[in-house]
Amino acid sequence: MDVIERYLEAVAAQLSTEDREDIVAELRDLILSRVEAREEELGRALSDEEREAILHEIGHPLVVAARYRKGPDSLIGPELFPYWLFGAKAGLIVIAAVQALGLLVHVLGDPANFGQSIGQAFNGFFSGALTLMGALTLAGAIMEHYDIKPAWLTKWRVRDLSAFGLADPAKWGASMAGSDKAKAEWMPKSAKVWGVRAEAPRAAEALWSFIASAVFILWWIGAIRFTGIGDFALRGGDVSVTAAPIWSLLFGLILAWAVAGMAVDGVTLWLPEARRLQALLKIPVAAAGLWIGWRLFQAGHWATLTQGDQTARVMGTSPIHMDFDAIHAIPEAQRGLAETALTLGTVLSWVLAIIMLCLAVDILKALWRIATTRD
Amino acid sequence: MDKDLFETMRLELRRGSLVLAVLACLRTERYGYTLRQALAADGLEMEESTLYPLLRRLEGQGLLTSEWREEEKRKKRFYVLSPGGEAMLAALTDEWRGINASLDRML
Repeated sequence: MDVIERYLEAVAAQLSTEDREDIVAELRDLILSRVEAREEELGRALSDEEREAILHEIGHPLVVAARYRKGPDSLIGPELFPYWLFGAKAGLIVIAAVQALGLLVHVLGDPANFGQSIGQAFNGFFSGALTLMGALTLAGAIMEHYDIKPAWLTKWRVRDLSAFGLADPAKWGASMAGSDKAKAEWMPKSAKVWGVRAEAPRAAEALWSFIASAVFILWWIGAIRFTGIGDFALRGGDVSVTAAPIWSLLFGLILAWAVAGMAVDGVTLWLPEARRLQALLKIPVAAAGLWIGWRLFQAGHWATLTQGDQTARVMGTSPIHMDFDAIHAIPEAQRGLAETALTLGTVLSWVLAIIMLCLAVDILKALWRIATTRD
Repeated sequence: MDKDLFETMRLELRRGSLVLAVLACLRTERYGYTLRQALAADGLEMEESTLYPLLRRLEGQGLLTSEWREEEKRKKRFYVLSPGGEAMLAALTDEWRGINASLDRML
C-alpha cells in the first residue's frame, strides 16, 4: 500500500460510514491532482518522501477528518465556555474552602496528626477538583452536542447575578479579613457582583457563616466528632466531660436556632438585595439566640468534669457578676480538676457573653436597616 | 508590530469572506482542485482541509449541487451554485458591498 492509500485509510477510519466512501474518493482526487501537478512541474515521478510532503501540507488525518465531522467541532464551544470557566473557578474555590475548614477542624481536634490532616486535605481537594472538572466537562459536552440551552443561559436577569462573585477569590479574602480597612483592601474595586460594593463583604460573611453553621449542626446531631471535647488529659489522669441537663433540655431549640441561622444566611446569599427581608428574619433568630444564652446563664451548670472518683462542675458566671479579675487569674490557676472547671467556666461565660452581645448588636443593626431601607 | 497577532487577525478578517468567494467562484461549475486554483489565481489562497469540508457544508445547506463525473481519466466531483445558492450569493454580495462602503468611509 502506498503512502497515499495509507493516509486515506487513516482519514477514513475517523469518518462516519455513510459519508466515508464519498469523502475519501474526493480526497483521493485532490491528492492525486496535486501529485500530478507537482510531477508536471518537475518533469518526473515523485518519490514517497515528496508525496508524503504533500500529505503533510493537506494536514494530519485526525484534523482533516475532524473538519468533515457534523455537529460541534469542540467539546465546549465559545458560547458555553464562560459558564464552564465560572463553574470551574467557583467550584474549585468552594472545594478549597471546604477542605481548609475541614483541615482547621481536624487540626484543632487532633493536633498530633497535623501531617496526616494536611495530606487528607490535599487529597480531598485534588480528588474533588478532578471530579468537579470531569462532571462540568461532561455536562458541557452534552449540552454542546445536543444544543441544549437552558433558560438560565438565555433568560438571565441582572438581579440574579450576585452569585457570580463566587468565582472571585478576592471576595473570599475580603470576607476573611479582620478589619474594615483590610476588607476594603481585599475587595476588588471594580466588582459589584455581590450587589452594592459597600455591602459586598456581608454576603461573603454570610457564606462563611452558612458553612460554619453547617459544621456546627453536623457536630450537634453527632454526625461528626471532634476529639478533645468529650475527654482530655490532665495531671493525675484522663478527664471526661459530661454535659449538664440544660443541654438536653435545649437540644431541639439550639438545633432549630442553628438551622434558622443557616436559612437567614441563605437568604442573604441568594437574595442580596432583599435587605429588609434579611433584617426582618435576623431579628427573631438573634432574639432566640439571646433567649437561649440567657437560659444557659440561668441554668448555671454547664458540664461536669470527672477524673477518677473526683468530680467538678463547670459553672457559667452570670454576665452581671463577670469581671476581668477572673480572666487575669486563669494563667495562675493550678492545673487541678476544680481549677480547670473554674477556668473553663470563666472562658465559656465570656465567650457566651460576647456572642450575646453580638446578637444584641445584630438586632439593633437589623432594626436600623428596616427603618432606613426600602426594597 | 506583533506578527503573530497580525496573522491571527488577518485570518479572522478573511474567514468571513471565504464563503462569499467560494459561492462567487462556483457560478461556473468546478471540481475542488480547480476551484482552489481559481481562488488562488484571484489572490485568495485556501487550504484544502478548509475548502473541501466547506463545500460539503454548503451543499448540505442547499447552496450548492454536486455530481460525480469522469474527467482526465478520473472521477471528480463537480460543484455549482444551486438556485438557492444564487439568491444567497446576491444577498451576501449586497451585504458585503454595504460593509465595504462603510469601512471605506472609516478607513
